[in-house]
Amino acid sequence: MAAPMELSCWGGDWGLPSLHPECLTVMAYAKFSGAPLTVNTINNSWRAPKGDLPVLVSEDIVISQPAKILNFLRKQKYNADYDLSAKQGADTLAYIALLEEKLLPALLHTFWIEAENYCSVTKPWFASKIAFPLSLYLPGKMSREALNRILLTKGGPPLYSLTEVEAQIYRDAKECLNLLSKRLGTAQFFFGDTPTTLDAFVFGFLAPIYKVCFPRVQLQEHLKQLPNLCRFCDDILTCYFRLTVSGYSPAGQDTADANLQKLTQLVNKESNLIEKMDDNLRKSPQHPPRKLTMLKLAAGGEESSPMSRLSP
Amino acid sequence: AAEPWPENAALYQQLKEEQILLSDNASSLAVQAFLQMCNLPVRVICRANAEYMSPSGKVPFIHVGNQVVSELGPIVQFVKAKGHSLSDGLDEVQKAEMKAYMELVNNMLLTAELYLQWCDDVTVEEITHPRYGSPYPWPLNRILSYQKQWEVRRKMKAIGWAGKTLEQVLEDVDQCCHALSQRLGTQPYFFNKHPTELDALVFGHLFTILTTQLITDELSEKVKNYSNLTAFCRRIEQQYFEGHEKDSSTIAARSSKRSLLR
Repeated sequence: MAAPMELSCWGGDWGLPSLHPECLTVMAYAKFSGAPLTVNTINNSWRAPKGDLPVLVSEDIVISQPAKILNFLRKQKYNADYDLSAKQGADTLAYIALLEEKLLPALLHTFWIEAENYCSVTKPWFASKIAFPLSLYLPGKMSREALNRILLTKGGPPLYSLTEVEAQIYRDAKECLNLLSKRLGTAQFFFGDTPTTLDAFVFGFLAPIYKVCFPRVQLQEHLKQLPNLCRFCDDILTCYFRLTVSGYSPAGQDTADANLQKLTQLVNKESNLIEKMDDNLRKSPQHPPRKLTMLKLAAGGEESSPMSRLSP
Repeated sequence: AAEPWPENAALYQQLKEEQILLSDNASSLAVQAFLQMCNLPVRVICRANAEYMSPSGKVPFIHVGNQVVSELGPIVQFVKAKGHSLSDGLDEVQKAEMKAYMELVNNMLLTAELYLQWCDDVTVEEITHPRYGSPYPWPLNRILSYQKQWEVRRKMKAIGWAGKTLEQVLEDVDQCCHALSQRLGTQPYFFNKHPTELDALVFGHLFTILTTQLITDELSEKVKNYSNLTAFCRRIEQQYFEGHEKDSSTIAARSSKRSLLR
């Protein structure tokens, strides 16, 4: 009795099927349990997302939060936790709570609040996936919601400024990653040889940190020092998501090449901006001219955004 | 760092009979249980403005020597720095599990308690508003409780609990108790022979839920469905709280509320 099920979610990039942690969780769970979902990624169409993604539509039922979606799939007999003992089921719930409390704030911060990351990567990417004029409003709204959530849950006294809160949440996130790494050990998945709900959630949270190329990457660097978690993400990507987007094939080398390409593009962009800034400095009347021959009186009003995006 | 634990260590919370609410009582009891388990004596002092005295705005907080530390997490670390720890015997994987379960309790049980106290209109009108502002004269008592309610509702909205109905919240509590019950199984404590901070936290919340009279009994019924959890609470109460006659404030208060464990 398979009613056709459609999942709407954000698309992916950098070798991931989706950039949004909750969408990734649901997609991973569907793959693990063998549920036949047709995945619609939001692209430049007018079917604007009403409310939060991911959204599952099956006949007339519309379900919107990951936990509820997973419950629905389980009721339709697509259960990835079939072999788990009761205690392991309890552990799943506990670890998911740990992820939401300790890792999610730092993830939200890296994506939506860290100024460089937000302006150069997150906002353009999400804006390119939504139709105009919603693209002007929705990324900003998601960023404000993320900031609100972090400040309300973590920002009480004695942490009075955003920088102190940031320090605390990154510390918590690094500790959480260490705990996950210790729990995973050398096993392939968290509970034996088949992936379960917990693997879906961990993958959903870790993969964006691992794969997306941001300018400010302290969490990614910490994650890369935990090789078993990196291996865990790569395994799930190669075994369950055989992506062919941008020539990606199930080989780690290609992922690295795609990443290297993107990184090179970013570096080239930055070096172009540095050259522009140098030109600015030379043309600026306040600074003593370095090469008298190149002194020109320019408008001096190049937009200041390249200057602010580059930070030491 | 190790100054010995002084004799006059004090734990501050709100007034037990008239003012303290379910969630604060649970947190305070958890800290008291933890300190009892470490064999560290502490006096419980009730003050109407305990929330405002606390460095983080949350009760309980302890005043030891010339330091003030609030909330269970920082208190556990502070006590560890003084050389007492309950979780040293655990290996790395068990420590990870313990932290995960503590987050589960905070994430689900504590949030459910806050929801019930501040977002369920009937409970708010009849229990929370009268109790929260009771030491203060009108109109301060109303202003303070509306302010707190607004704060808690904002937080619920940010984490997505504002859209939940009471039934869904009780479902979540049931799921959480089910998980705790499965994890406890037939063992005396969560990590077999010795209690840890997780046992203190779970005891604090479950015992308070079981012994606090609310509008309906639905919340305590959810916990009572799991007999190993009620046995766990009784065991810890007998072992760590009944021998201490001088700590009469806690025992007397509990017997004045309808105690469902006796």
